[in-house]
Amino acid sequence: MKEMVAGLEIHVELSTKSKIFCACSTAFGAKPNTHCCPVCTGQPGALPVLNKAVVEYAVRAGLALNSRINTRTHLDRKNYFYPDLPKAYQISQYDEPLCEGGYIELDSGKKIRLKRIHIEEDAGKLVHEKGFTYIDYNRGGVPLIEIVSLPDISSSAEAREFVEKMQLIMRYIGVSDCKMQEGSLRCDVNISVKEGDGPLNIHTEIKNLNSVSFMCEAMDFEFSRQCDVLAAGGKVEKATLRFDTSTGETYPMRTKEDENDYRYFPEPDVPVIEIEPSLLEGIKDSLPELPSIKINRYINDFGIKAQNAELVCRYHKVAAFVEGAIAEGASPKNAVNFTLGTIFSTLGTEEGKELFEIKTTASQFAALIKLLDTGKINSSMASSALVKMLDTGKDFTEFIKADDMHGISEGDLIDICRKVVEENAGTVGEIKGGKTKAMGALLGAVARATKGKADMKKAEEIVKELISV
Amino acid sequence: MTKDDVKTLARLSRLAFTDEECEAFLPEMDEIVAFAGTVNSEIEGDTSTVRLSSDEMKFDDLREDEILPSLPSDKILSNVEGDDGYFTVKRFIK
Repeated sequence: MKEMVAGLEIHVELSTKSKIFCACSTAFGAKPNTHCCPVCTGQPGALPVLNKAVVEYAVRAGLALNSRINTRTHLDRKNYFYPDLPKAYQISQYDEPLCEGGYIELDSGKKIRLKRIHIEEDAGKLVHEKGFTYIDYNRGGVPLIEIVSLPDISSSAEAREFVEKMQLIMRYIGVSDCKMQEGSLRCDVNISVKEGDGPLNIHTEIKNLNSVSFMCEAMDFEFSRQCDVLAAGGKVEKATLRFDTSTGETYPMRTKEDENDYRYFPEPDVPVIEIEPSLLEGIKDSLPELPSIKINRYINDFGIKAQNAELVCRYHKVAAFVEGAIAEGASPKNAVNFTLGTIFSTLGTEEGKELFEIKTTASQFAALIKLLDTGKINSSMASSALVKMLDTGKDFTEFIKADDMHGISEGDLIDICRKVVEENAGTVGEIKGGKTKAMGALLGAVARATKGKADMKKAEEIVKELISV
Repeated sequence: MTKDDVKTLARLSRLAFTDEECEAFLPEMDEIVAFAGTVNSEIEGDTSTVRLSSDEMKFDDLREDEILPSLPSDKILSNVEGDDGYFTVKRFIK
C-alpha cells in the first residue's frame, strides 16, 4: 500500500500599502520598475527599514493559525545569485522565525500541523522572451509570509482543503487578498511516497504552483511518477521540479544550491525586534471571528443548513452583510436564502462574490426581509423587489406599494383554498387518481384569487391537506 | 579546509580560479577560519544559549506603513540599455 506524504510551503503576499524595507508602493499592475528606490533595487549604501505593519500582519496570521509567537525575533540574510534579487541576497528568517507551530483543522477533524511562519521580501519578476530576460523590480521587496506545514498531507484533496482554508483565514483577518491570479499566493509542494510501515522515500519539491488546481494536478502526477519509479525497482532522486501546465507533467529545474550554500547569517542591517506581550494580547483581541467558528454558529445558532452556511462564510463580506441584516431583525433563514439566491445571481463570478460590491445596504435588505418574515409579502414579490433594489440602490418602498403589502392572512388563505377545491372537483379527482401535475392548475386558481399575494408554498400545503394527498 | 571547499566558495561567488590559485588560497583561508575560531576559545562552557546580540528595536519604533514617492523610473533605469522600462539581461534559462 503506497501512501502520499506531502508538506506545503505557501508564500502569501501581505496587503500592506508599502514594501517591507522601503516606502515604495506594493500596488499590483503598475508599469515596470516604477515602484522602485535605492533600497529595493539594492543600490550600494541603501539601508532597509522594517515596516511595522508587516510584523503586525504576520503576528495576526500566526495567532489565527494557532502558532506560538516569538516575542524576540531577527532577520537573516539568505545569499543566492540570481537576477530577481539585485542585492544577491534575500532578507528572510532562518533560525528564529516570528511564528512557530500551529495547525489548520480539516473538515475530517485531521489537523495539518505547521512548522513555522516567517517574514521575508519577495523577489523581482522575470519574463523570459526570445533571447532576453526582462526584469521588473516592482515586486521586489513586497512583504511575504512563508507558511511551512509539516508533511501531514496525504492526498491532493487534503492539500486543496488546507490551502483553501488558509486562504479564507488570511482574507478574514485582512492580511492578504490571496489572489492566486496576481501571484499573491504561491505554493511549493514537498512530496514523497511511503510504503506500508516502511521508511519514507526520498522527496522531491515542486516549485511555484500558482493555482490550487495545478497544485493538485502536479501532486497527483508526481505521486504516480514516484510510485512507478519504485515499482520498477528504481530509486526516487531528490530533485527540484517544475510543473508544465500544458503537458500536466513535472520536470526537473536548475539544480538548487544546497541549504548550506545559502550561507544564512543574521542580517546586520536590521535590528533584533522585541515584541511586548501586551501587543500580542491587543492583536489577539482584534482578530475577527474565524470562518470555521462562524460556520458552526450559522448552523447551531441560526439553524442554517451546513452547505448554505459554508457558501455564505466563504466570502467574508457576504457574511458581514448577512449578519448586518440579521442584527437589524431579519430572519437568518430568509436572509441567507435571498443572499444565496437573488443576490448571488446578480454577482455571477467568484470574484464578484469576493468583492461583493452591491448597491443595497444590509439595513435596506433587512427591511425587505422583515416584510417577508411577517407574511406581508410573499417570496416572489420579495425577490422581484430585491432585484430592483440591487439595480438602483433604492429602498423597497419604491417598488412595493402599501396596497401590495397586506399579504393574505393564513385564515383567508385557507378559505380561498377551500373555495378553489370545491369549485374544481374534477381536477381534485384527477390529482387523487395519481395525476399530480394537475396540482398546478389548482394552485394557479389560488394565485389568481389572491392576486399573487399568497405565499404559494403555504397554499400548496393547505390544498394538499384539504384534499388529503 | 580542503581545495574542494575553496572551489565551492569560488563557484558560489561566481569567481573563476585555476587549480594553482585555489591551492595558494588554502593556507590563507585556513588562517581566516582559525582567526574566527579564536572566539570559541575565548568563551568557556556552553554557548548554545547565548543569544544574538545586536541593536534591539521595539515594535512601536518600526517604520509606519506609509507610501512615499519612488525614484523616477528614468533614474532607476539610467544605466539600462533599451527603452521598454525593464532591466534586460541575456536570457539565462532555456
